Amino acid sequence: MNFWLAVFRQVGRNLHQTWTSQLMTFLTVSLSVLIFAFFYLIYTNMLGAGDRLSDDLRLIVYLEEDPGPEMQQQLRQKINNFDDVEKILFVSRAEAYERFATQLGENSDVLTDMPKDFLPPSIEVVPLQSLRGYNKIKLFSEYLKSLPGAEKVQYGQEWVERFYYFTRLLTIVVILSGTLLILTATFMVAYTIRLTIMGRRDELELLKLVGATNSYIRAPFLIEGILQGLTGSIIGLSALYALFRWISLHFEGPGPLNLFQFTFLPFSEVLIIVSGSIALCSLGSYSSIRKFLKF
Amino acid sequence: MAENENTENTMIEMIKVSRIYEPNITALSDISLSVGTGEMFFLIGRSGAGKTTLLKLICNMEVPSKGLIEVAGYDINQLKGNDLAHLRQKIGVAYQDFKLLGDRTVAENIAIAMEVSYKKPRAIKQRVKDLLEQLQLVEKHNTITNELSRGEQQRIALARAVANSPRLILVDEPTGNLDASTTEQVMELLNRSRLAGATIVIATHDSSLYRQSKHRVLELRNGTIHSLTEGDQP
Repeated sequence: MNFWLAVFRQVGRNLHQTWTSQLMTFLTVSLSVLIFAFFYLIYTNMLGAGDRLSDDLRLIVYLEEDPGPEMQQQLRQKINNFDDVEKILFVSRAEAYERFATQLGENSDVLTDMPKDFLPPSIEVVPLQSLRGYNKIKLFSEYLKSLPGAEKVQYGQEWVERFYYFTRLLTIVVILSGTLLILTATFMVAYTIRLTIMGRRDELELLKLVGATNSYIRAPFLIEGILQGLTGSIIGLSALYALFRWISLHFEGPGPLNLFQFTFLPFSEVLIIVSGSIALCSLGSYSSIRKFLKF
Repeated sequence: MAENENTENTMIEMIKVSRIYEPNITALSDISLSVGTGEMFFLIGRSGAGKTTLLKLICNMEVPSKGLIEVAGYDINQLKGNDLAHLRQKIGVAYQDFKLLGDRTVAENIAIAMEVSYKKPRAIKQRVKDLLEQLQLVEKHNTITNELSRGEQQRIALARAVANSPRLILVDEPTGNLDASTTEQVMELLNRSRLAGATIVIATHDSSLYRQSKHRVLELRNGTIHSLTEGDQP
């Protein structure tokens, strides 16, 4: 009988004898993975939504007067001095009036009595993707406000700010829930293995006395940890996927989910979660058996 | 672990070995002895004389407070990890308290000694069957050991000790719960192992085991060597 055959026989025997505590650990790992992955899924979708919405982000600098060609050149240079931008577009009073009229469509006759220069001239600045962090945009808008002739800068500050704080809150929730659930799962696995070790203390001591190597004693427990991590994470993620499918089916169509283009975790991240779960469960298992073997 | 050639003729070497338990109980004091390879060696003495402690020191279940113990040429207290495990695979021990796994079957208890050295399942099965036949316990093959009598448990503990064909067999009170005919079966099994090359150390109260024997007998009294009779053969 080779080493691995002997080890797998031990694993089978152990699973058979301690199936109740093994089941409890398996459920804890599954639930931990499910809760963590659920928050993470929401977090990644929020980030994705933020990215998509920021594609439309532009800063509008309202000016006191229509700038002449020379001043336009100077302003363009000033803006580029802060950072390269994707696009700079000067909108004169007349152009602003035309745009507004177009937007009003059939109702444009409400503008009939209005002077054609009642709207302020502006500069529309589309920042580069690299400049779209909340703090960067804030700094950039303050810089634009300080430009000569600038009256006001608008970029949907309130919305951007709220979204920024919401994603920050979600990041904290993901990190905290992740940490707590990781600790829970690791301790549960370590505790189950410790219970198993205590229940089999006589056997393990006998194994040492009849010449079992430490690897022979340790390997079955490590395999149990790996199995708990693997099956627990797969079941947890499968439950999350089922939940995701249910939400997608029941809430598809126009609505907030459509706006956010709700997507499941990419395969690489699923693999990372499964590997992480396996690593943590093995760690819990290893730490327990190490204490016994030191004894 | 490589075989040590210097110890071709000596299996156990003990030099001035003492074992003192806390706070100040001397179980063994200045024990020096050599046991040759293939020898059957008796340890006798009253309860508390130090027989069991001596066996525990030889198989590294306990460490001496002083002195040197070599088994098959290796200082057993210096061995660690896999080296110690591999040496232990060559030592079969039948403990006074049996150390059987009460919730396992007889066959599983005997097999455990062979499983740790990765013997093939078929060979393990055959060896278990042979041993149970020799000890007339074939019908107990699948019996849970907790359901056995003390005498049967004692024989299973002995079967486990010899199962892996070890080079050294340590037996603590092998016949304490046995009648005369079963004692004979046990001694036959041990003799067979000795003829196959194993060294046997038997700690016993039972004078019928060693009185007529040609083997060496060491008597312990209060943890010291009281007498050592010379035997005729190794």
